[in-house]
Amino acid sequence: MFRVMLYTQWKWSRLIILLGTVAAFALPIISLQGAARADRNPLEAQDLLRTVHSWGTLYPVLAAALGLLVAMAGWAPDHRGRHVHALTLPLPRWRYVLLRCAGGAVLLAIPVAAVLAGALFATATATLPPGLQGYPLALAVHFGLAVALAYAMFFAISAGTARTAGIILGVFGALVVVQIVAGVANLDVDLMSPLQIVVLGSAGPFAIFTGRWMLVDV
Amino acid sequence: MCNSAGLFVLLSAIAARPLAAQAIEHQRLRARTDSLARELTRASAIADLADSLEHQRAFSGRDTIAVGGLRIVTDPSPLPVRAAAERAWPVLDSLYGDAAQLLAQYPYVIRAFDPDTTAPRPTVYVGLTVPWNMNAEVLAQLLVANPPMPAPDYALASWLGGTLRPTTRAGRERTDVYLQLVTAPSTPARACFLGALAACRIALGLQSGGDVLALWYPEAAERRALVTRTFPDYFNHGANAGAFRVCAGGVDSVCDALLRQVSAGSLPSPLGAQARTTVLRLALRLGGRDAYRRLIADSGAPLFERLGNAAQANMDDVLARWRLEILAARPPSVALPWWAAALALAWAAVFGTCALRSSRWRLG
Repeated sequence: MFRVMLYTQWKWSRLIILLGTVAAFALPIISLQGAARADRNPLEAQDLLRTVHSWGTLYPVLAAALGLLVAMAGWAPDHRGRHVHALTLPLPRWRYVLLRCAGGAVLLAIPVAAVLAGALFATATATLPPGLQGYPLALAVHFGLAVALAYAMFFAISAGTARTAGIILGVFGALVVVQIVAGVANLDVDLMSPLQIVVLGSAGPFAIFTGRWMLVDV
Repeated sequence: MCNSAGLFVLLSAIAARPLAAQAIEHQRLRARTDSLARELTRASAIADLADSLEHQRAFSGRDTIAVGGLRIVTDPSPLPVRAAAERAWPVLDSLYGDAAQLLAQYPYVIRAFDPDTTAPRPTVYVGLTVPWNMNAEVLAQLLVANPPMPAPDYALASWLGGTLRPTTRAGRERTDVYLQLVTAPSTPARACFLGALAACRIALGLQSGGDVLALWYPEAAERRALVTRTFPDYFNHGANAGAFRVCAGGVDSVCDALLRQVSAGSLPSPLGAQARTTVLRLALRLGGRDAYRRLIADSGAPLFERLGNAAQANMDDVLARWRLEILAARPPSVALPWWAAALALAWAAVFGTCALRSSRWRLG
């Protein structure tokens, strides 16, 4: 059953996975661009760190995009077919969802492995100044966890009804509207800062997307 | 004959006129200079008088609080001056050692003001003005950051880039120095990181004599980087603009010539003031309670020697220890801590459970 599910999900999301894999492999290599040149001045450690840091902002973006697109692709045919096919299967819902979720997760392991391969290749070919070190494994683990989290969240939203998604979006939208209205009315109300702390703080659900995404660091 | 004489008289008159004018102008300028000098003397006297009166005003009718060598002159208020002084004194004492007793001669002056009133506060020129509701911890930090120690000699002050103050964030400072060691675009800094103590000495600006430019930035690429990144505003205009472009294009001799126009004192040292402060603090720590006094005792000696005297140790040993302390302060790795990874997985599990329990397919 799982193999069939995996195959169908591969068919639906192979373009996303392929493009994501190419991007995931290329990103670490591009972020160390020039570090592998023979004429590179080994003293330009600060420039190298700055470049790596700049490119590092793309890892969480890529992780979130992959999680979102694969989660949506996993449920889109079911939504289109009004879940008739799924209901005809001799499976409880929880098991069907689990198989879908596992199928997407297995597919997402490909771009995560691509990040690891790209990072290993980039650090192996680069000439790093003394004091700087490559962190390919740490970066790949970070990326993998971010992908897993993004996928789980968007998968949960996609698996729910449109009403559930509407409620979640509505709550966030209402918070934004209240904040804007409070700003216009000159009221001392700050909803966004506490929300930011809750969501992005060290124990928050999206804390994994913050922090330093450095392939090379001291 | 007559014509020649006439011509001579005419030329003499023409030549003498500017000379006479110059003499008058010279006299006028001299008178002006003298007048300005008199004004300066008068202004200095008035400033001294104002200073003296201000000091008198600052010290009169106020309480003096003594904690260790600290003397704090303050007006009666709820400000927790004694509690703050009790916190600040050990910090100051541990840095300056026996020399901290000098602080008894240079008291702090603290004026507390009411933070809740809108009444204008009197202007003060001596001491610190703080709200009386400031807590003891913040006030202690203020005392630690502004010790009224006599300024060190010029050589030490210019090497340090200011005066030596205690710190409450020594670990963070060492971490910053670690980053400087790794990222400074200078061969001595890199060599120091790798363990060459002679290079540490150069990178810290402790060498005596020699060509500073050649010592600090021995490679052509470093000098080019210095011209194009540190001094672009200075060199990339006017008469130097052409040379700047040639240097940026890779002609090293031109870069060198440009940098020779800059005085040695204006060249940025490979490791900044923070690194120098950390090595000085280490020397004082090693030297015991009399270290600061030994440091400031001989202002004419080379700094390398003075630091060694302060530490009462071989300076190479001091540098070796300093390097080890800096290496030990390496910033934490970018690798995620285990709890962050566990937390991310836990959140993913929460979302996964939400998906399993979603309402779709539920009838009714």
